[in-house]
Amino acid sequence: MVQPLSGQAIYVVLLRELKRYWRAKARVISSVAQSFFFLAIFGLGLRGVIGGVDGIDYLSYMAPGVIGMGLLFGSVASGVSVIFDRQFGFMKEMLVAPVSRTSIIIGKILGGAATATLQGIILLVVATLMGAFTPSLAFLAGAVAGVGAMLLITSGFVGLGVAIGSTLNDFHAFQLLSTFVMWPMFMLSGVFFPIDMAPLPLQVAMLCDPMFYGVELMRWCLLGSGTQLLGPTAWLISLGVVAAFDVLMIGLGTLLFSRAQI
Amino acid sequence: MNRINTIEVKALTKVFDKDTKAVDGISFTVNEGEILGFLGPNGAGKTTTLNMLSTLLRPTSGTATVNGHDILTEPDAVRRSIGYVFQDTTLDIDLTGRENLDFHGRLYGLDRNTRQQRIKEVLEVVQLADRADNLVKVYSGGMKRRLEIARGLLHHPKVLFLDEPTLGLDPQTRRSIWEHILRLNQEKNITIILTTHYTEEADYLCKRILIIDFGKVVVLDAPDNLKARLEGDVVTLLFKDSAAIETFRPLLENKDWIRRINVVASGNNYAAISRMMQATPTQSNSMGMDGTMPQMTPMNVKEHESGPEHAQQKPEQSEADKSIQFGGETCSKCLNLLVDNGGHRIPEIVKLAEEANVVLESVELRKPTLDDVFLSVTGRNIREEEGSIIDMVRRHRIMRQARGQQVRG
Repeated sequence: MVQPLSGQAIYVVLLRELKRYWRAKARVISSVAQSFFFLAIFGLGLRGVIGGVDGIDYLSYMAPGVIGMGLLFGSVASGVSVIFDRQFGFMKEMLVAPVSRTSIIIGKILGGAATATLQGIILLVVATLMGAFTPSLAFLAGAVAGVGAMLLITSGFVGLGVAIGSTLNDFHAFQLLSTFVMWPMFMLSGVFFPIDMAPLPLQVAMLCDPMFYGVELMRWCLLGSGTQLLGPTAWLISLGVVAAFDVLMIGLGTLLFSRAQI
Repeated sequence: MNRINTIEVKALTKVFDKDTKAVDGISFTVNEGEILGFLGPNGAGKTTTLNMLSTLLRPTSGTATVNGHDILTEPDAVRRSIGYVFQDTTLDIDLTGRENLDFHGRLYGLDRNTRQQRIKEVLEVVQLADRADNLVKVYSGGMKRRLEIARGLLHHPKVLFLDEPTLGLDPQTRRSIWEHILRLNQEKNITIILTTHYTEEADYLCKRILIIDFGKVVVLDAPDNLKARLEGDVVTLLFKDSAAIETFRPLLENKDWIRRINVVASGNNYAAISRMMQATPTQSNSMGMDGTMPQMTPMNVKEHESGPEHAQQKPEQSEADKSIQFGGETCSKCLNLLVDNGGHRIPEIVKLAEEANVVLESVELRKPTLDDVFLSVTGRNIREEEGSIIDMVRRHRIMRQARGQQVRG
């Protein structure tokens, strides 16, 4: 029995995500602030020690990664919020309505991607103001591409969040998840140091991290070049990996969500 | 008269993983425009049955049709025909009342004009029009419940499921919600299934009552018929000490004008919690239904009885009071007797007690209520809760939520 997708349902779930994001001002401000502090303190502080990476100023080098951090945490949190909906009962309202679970998930993913991308854009502006990027026509074009990349990256991670939120039954497990999965993912994404110089085990770990490719993609869009290890077609490889990750995660998220018990 | 069976249930069963049979072969029908009550203690299978009928849960076996649609093969059509007001709050507290309704309307495929018109309509029905644009976070328990009822009606369902609609609310709000439910049923001919463990609620609202216990249908009949089955009056004796029951009871057993002797259940967890909650003044930052009366505890409602005149209202107070007066522990000093022509037999009972040197503290006489019916058909007092500690804590949370207090996530 294939249920048709409902545009209204997708729209209203998406709208709800946006409204909730906008109303949780404290959460928005603190996550932007967190990234800002990272960039400002580590960027400016380590710039003196490290100088540059492959000819790129350290602050500029860090910026895409820090934007990625906002994207990563924002989108996973968005996806995992299904767990709150389940615990606080709102999920039942959605499940008892004559709409397919797939419609609900698509709305959730689009909503989560939109809010996380919004966050990313804010961070992009902040980073530019801090001097990480030099505004130019080329940069503007890159920034637009960068927003596209953000949407791509966040969709996958919202899917991951939904997959996790549909299987976990309590919030406390989320703490463990944050420590053992999300933070390593962030730190291994190449935000602080390039993969080229890292010892082999670390390099392997980084190559296994989907966020690494996301940050690579962002770096290519915003700075015009990336790390040397992957070569000149790095941007294509990264795009491919991120797209594959998206398909996998969205599929997994949809599957697990439709199986979840109320 | 053409009677349409809006809901038909045949041998519905639900077994959860560890062989727990939550619902065991339930069968019944509901007529169009009827209010049917599911009466039973927690864990009896009421919510599970509703979850199956609303297609949220797949039954292990058995079938049912709702508004002519099979729950297994036509789930979407079933969902379109029903509104479900859950036991827990299922509103988004970070959205306004109107936004919650709008969300619901879009989910159910109502176009813009219809949505706006219906939102206006249901807000008027539940008298929330002036608060519709506040965040649900600031609503009182009664307001949240009213909003949920409004939401359940938005798409004009033929059937409404109400799961413990007045759980945890103060007596005034409860009465107000009862009136809303009755009016809905009469004006729009909506078929309603109501689950409750409040016998007075079932008595007041329902055309027929299905008593459910351990997942099985115990009895299904109109409230008056159920009470008439208990021929006689209920005489409640309160002894000075429980040991006296042992001595006195045998003396009563050979009297032919005493039809039944049930010992009222002794102190248990639920009675203790219910006592605790009735004794603590409710700290709600909200208004009552009409915005002026403060929250009242059941004890002082007696003096301000403003509800509709209804004989069955009185037992509500005396039942609630009983658990305070007699308390959890001292209820073990009570005996319930079903007596032929109770009033005339009281002098005889008192004389018997005197002769046996048993001290009687009080004697009460009343007509049988649904509580007595429940006790007689299931052998247990409905207020005896056998649910797990988790159930109890959860119910306590729901009640606090209903009262608009902060719930720790």
